[in-house]
Amino acid sequence: MHREDFGLAGEGEGIPQVNAREKVLGCAVYAGDMRLPRMLHARILRSPHAHARITGVDLTAALALPGVRVAVSGRDVPARAWGLSHKQQHVLARDTVRFVGEEVAALAADTPEIADAALDLIQISYEPLPALLDPADALTTGAPLVHAGSNLADEINIQRGDIDAGFAQADLIHEETYRTHSQYPGYMEPMATVAATDANGRLTVWTSTQSVFLARQRLAEALDRPVSSIRVIQATVGGGFGGKIVEERSSVIAAFLATRTDRPVRLGLTRIEDMLSGCLSVPETIRLRLGMRRDGTITAKEVEILADCGAFAGLAPDILIVSAMRSDNMQRIANIRTRARLVYTNTLPRGAFRGFGGTQMLFALNSHLATMAEKLDLDVFDVHRRNAIGPGDTTVHGWKIGSCALEACLTHVRKAIDWDAKRARPKGTGVLRRGLGVAAAMHVSGNRTIGNWDGATILLKVNEDGRAVILTGESDMGQGAFTMLTQICAKELGIPPAHVTVQAPDTDISPFSIGTLASRVTINAGAAMVKAARQARSQILAAAAEKYSHPEDDLEIADGMVRARGTGNLTVPLPEICRYHIFRHGGEGIIVSASHDPETVRMDAEHRGNIAPGYSFAAQAVEVEVDTETGQVRLIESWLADDCGVAINPLAVHGQSNGAAVQSLGWALYEEPRFEGGQLSNGNLADYTMATADAVPRLHSAIVDSFEPNGPLGAKGASETAILPGAPAIANAVYEAIGLRITDLPITPEKILAGLARAKGARDAAL
Amino acid sequence: MLPFDIATPGTLAEALALLDQYDEEACVFAGGTALVIALRQRMIAPRVVVSIGQLPGLSEITYSEAEGLRIGALARHAQIAASDPVRRHYPVLAQLFGGLANPQVRNQGTVGGNLCYADPATDPPSCLLALGAEVIIAGRMGQRRLPMRAFLVDFFTTALEPGEILAGIHIPPPQPGEHALYRRHLRTPAEHRPLANVALRFVAGPDGHSWKDVRLAIGAAVPVALPMDEAGRALTGRPITLAVAGEAAALVAERLEPISDSRGDAAFRTAVVRAAVRRIVAEAAGLDWTETT
Ligand SMILES: Cc1cc2nc3c(=O)[nH]c(=O)nc-3n(C[C@H](O)[C@H](O)[C@H](O)COP(=O)(O)OP(=O)(O)OC[C@H]3O[C@@H](n4cnc5c(N)ncnc54)[C@H](O)[C@@H]3O)c2cc1C
Repeated sequence: MHREDFGLAGEGEGIPQVNAREKVLGCAVYAGDMRLPRMLHARILRSPHAHARITGVDLTAALALPGVRVAVSGRDVPARAWGLSHKQQHVLARDTVRFVGEEVAALAADTPEIADAALDLIQISYEPLPALLDPADALTTGAPLVHAGSNLADEINIQRGDIDAGFAQADLIHEETYRTHSQYPGYMEPMATVAATDANGRLTVWTSTQSVFLARQRLAEALDRPVSSIRVIQATVGGGFGGKIVEERSSVIAAFLATRTDRPVRLGLTRIEDMLSGCLSVPETIRLRLGMRRDGTITAKEVEILADCGAFAGLAPDILIVSAMRSDNMQRIANIRTRARLVYTNTLPRGAFRGFGGTQMLFALNSHLATMAEKLDLDVFDVHRRNAIGPGDTTVHGWKIGSCALEACLTHVRKAIDWDAKRARPKGTGVLRRGLGVAAAMHVSGNRTIGNWDGATILLKVNEDGRAVILTGESDMGQGAFTMLTQICAKELGIPPAHVTVQAPDTDISPFSIGTLASRVTINAGAAMVKAARQARSQILAAAAEKYSHPEDDLEIADGMVRARGTGNLTVPLPEICRYHIFRHGGEGIIVSASHDPETVRMDAEHRGNIAPGYSFAAQAVEVEVDTETGQVRLIESWLADDCGVAINPLAVHGQSNGAAVQSLGWALYEEPRFEGGQLSNGNLADYTMATADAVPRLHSAIVDSFEPNGPLGAKGASETAILPGAPAIANAVYEAIGLRITDLPITPEKILAGLARAKGARDAAL
Repeated sequence: MLPFDIATPGTLAEALALLDQYDEEACVFAGGTALVIALRQRMIAPRVVVSIGQLPGLSEITYSEAEGLRIGALARHAQIAASDPVRRHYPVLAQLFGGLANPQVRNQGTVGGNLCYADPATDPPSCLLALGAEVIIAGRMGQRRLPMRAFLVDFFTTALEPGEILAGIHIPPPQPGEHALYRRHLRTPAEHRPLANVALRFVAGPDGHSWKDVRLAIGAAVPVALPMDEAGRALTGRPITLAVAGEAAALVAERLEPISDSRGDAAFRTAVVRAAVRRIVAEAAGLDWTETT
């Protein structure tokens, strides 16, 4: 495909989200808003222990309370385990609880108040077991076992080239250990589900999800029933950020309760419950050792990762792969040795989060590159550029880079923040010190994993009035998938976006799909959308050609009209042709189904292979101000540049980039789940403070000129890439401001003050 | 939340009678911003909640040159911030009440509820101390007055006796040449509650360079807001320089016995208080605190 094939020169149109109106008017229906006749209200009882054997369950008092319709514990749930690569979870904990907050019992009652009161009446007795709370202890002999066998959930070893030769060529070898912490996805809508069975026992589940088909698959496993006996309908989703892919646990419990009562059940979580039963991101300790030549060329990269998945593996093994090898592809490097291990602990399960393992490793790598550039007296941008992968390259792991505007991203942010002039200014001596930092990032657009397939199918109907309805299984969780599909469809069909409707995913109606993850929807579903719209267009044009005996290849659709291109003497309203098509095809309307599966491969056993049709890049430069008396870090300026190919909706991309900048700022400076004895001690948004409008200056985001040959209309994924560079850019800026290298996130005022005190102590001692 | 009855007395006397009747099982409900959280978390489980929100005469704000300012206990934060006499004669209070918490809490929470709950992580107490405020307490036996200093006892504890209701706050009229400043420190921008705060009140001496009647008070970082008399003395009767500001800050830091918890340990809170004192003194003297001493 070539750029000229598409009318879009550089950018699409920045239209507001197609579902913005319903949200701002308050009429969007979230799962928690639903009310069905005879609906019950569910509540969950959670484990107070980090690790214990369940020795007794007594539900009688709860069941005796008038208005309570069902109460269940792990003894009542199917024996079949659910999970991804590791099948190890049940609807409720069966014999053992493995973290504080694990679901041990659930009930449903006529009113929320009765359900609350009944929860107090459930009696569970436990025999506490030694708990493993620190991942660093997980692999020591005698450590408590979270699951039978070993605490090692996964291990990845990767070798490329000759690591020893690589280090031997280096003029500088630098080693450091970095620590990253968990982040809560912090979406506005805590999980909510309504589930109901019909007279035949078939189950319908309305829930907040990033993937209805993965949700259905998991429900089938957890409830041990056929896939097709379940229908999952995506309600409006108030944000997901990875947490609503497939690891949250409450929708499973709601569905199980519905099957036990044969009455509709609503389960809406409070914020604390959502923090306990969703998933936080995976914390990692990363030891990084890099060899570099005097000119900045990286000669060797040695990585050791210890990651903590909490009590269950979930998606964490897939995240571990990303941490272990994705950043290698951003640079032209040859000699690599990586060992990454994932361990269980008796803490909350950790898993998918926007960036999917990229944030952790890119914090380490970008911090490292800034440090080494300084040591070698090199410009950090030059170091990035010297090693940067480029278009047409095949990376060390076999990734085929189509478009790549990483250098353009770097150049843009350098200029935009006025890097050179600001770096040249004299160092301050006052209480407030300013510094600049930059970081670069790479992410996938799509990822061929599940079932050696990364395809997408779009079902498109063009109605008798020439307006279109799109059926898709890809979820819009607020990121803009429906708007993207609408725009592509409108453009390809030649109708206004207002004439296109996207139906929310529904497993009974939508085509099968993977869902919203791995930044795959625009590049894959968008490509299927192009195909479907073109197929529909040619059906329409064929019908028009037949009706008016006009050569088909001279016809086009524009502004809702079928027109002759050459002569211009034929102009027919689209509805007329659509009706004609129905009448001439025995009543068959224009219904097309188009699938697109990118030409990618699944990673082989050695973690090689081109897994994604496109790769996205980003860079971010920030200026911070450090208050040396209070330790506070303030963001002064932020410039982010995103290479997402052609932006189909630049307005949406800017929204995603700015949101990502805020979320990465929160991770870098403020957000830290704290645990006491395995118990989350700041499980509310007053104590777990996220970045708010007060925390950020005016944010700038740019979309650099780029065209992805494998993407629909030149597009690839946006939004996940943009969260990756924020934290290391801030850490690098803090270093430039006060000479303090923070290697363990978050960058708290205490760490700043302690670091400054250490530096002062060292200075004083030297006098 | 556990079930309870709600009583809506029409007069202060009725309210006091209800408190007397139900004793330990009753509690007062003003704006409810603190109480509802406590009820929902089941930290308290009263049988009767006595709503005083409708009581007449307890939300007025009045000022006279002779008497000073009287703020009814039921005055809401936003109401105080917008009040004419407050803005004219005590701009520091207008700024404080207009800047605490968030708009929802400011529109719903009352100053009486704030003081009676005695959560350390609040704004008004230190500033009221510095302004020399007294509280007016109503009981079945009549009214009594207490200086702020005596009213604040400990974490979540005041000098209110069971069955008493806080009726209002009294602040003496400002003296000629009186200045007052208040500064709060938040750990992160998303936090509404202060981690530490400091209030400073003084009367500028005739020379314009030195101060007298200096009162400095620290809040939020300590279990109850505290007057810092020694630091106040150190700021009295001498020209204020950055070095003097630093000296006062050091005196406060030395004496401070701060709260140590997950929002900030003792050392961190001390560092913040020290910075806050240095800055407020420098600002009051028109000096640039961003310069290091
Ligand atoms: C999100 C949030 C942020 C906040 N941030 C801040 C902040 O930044 N700074 C700050 O200073 N405060 C802050 N607060 C606290 C807030 O100011 C108080 O919750 C509020 O002032 C309490 O007033 P109320 O009328 O709602 O009290 P209520 O909740 O009705 O009562 C609180 C307590 O006081 C008792 N009480 C109330 N009135 C009387 C009375 N007249 N006599 C005797 N007892 C009485 C009640 O029995 C109860 O125990 C915050 C609160 C919230 C919820």
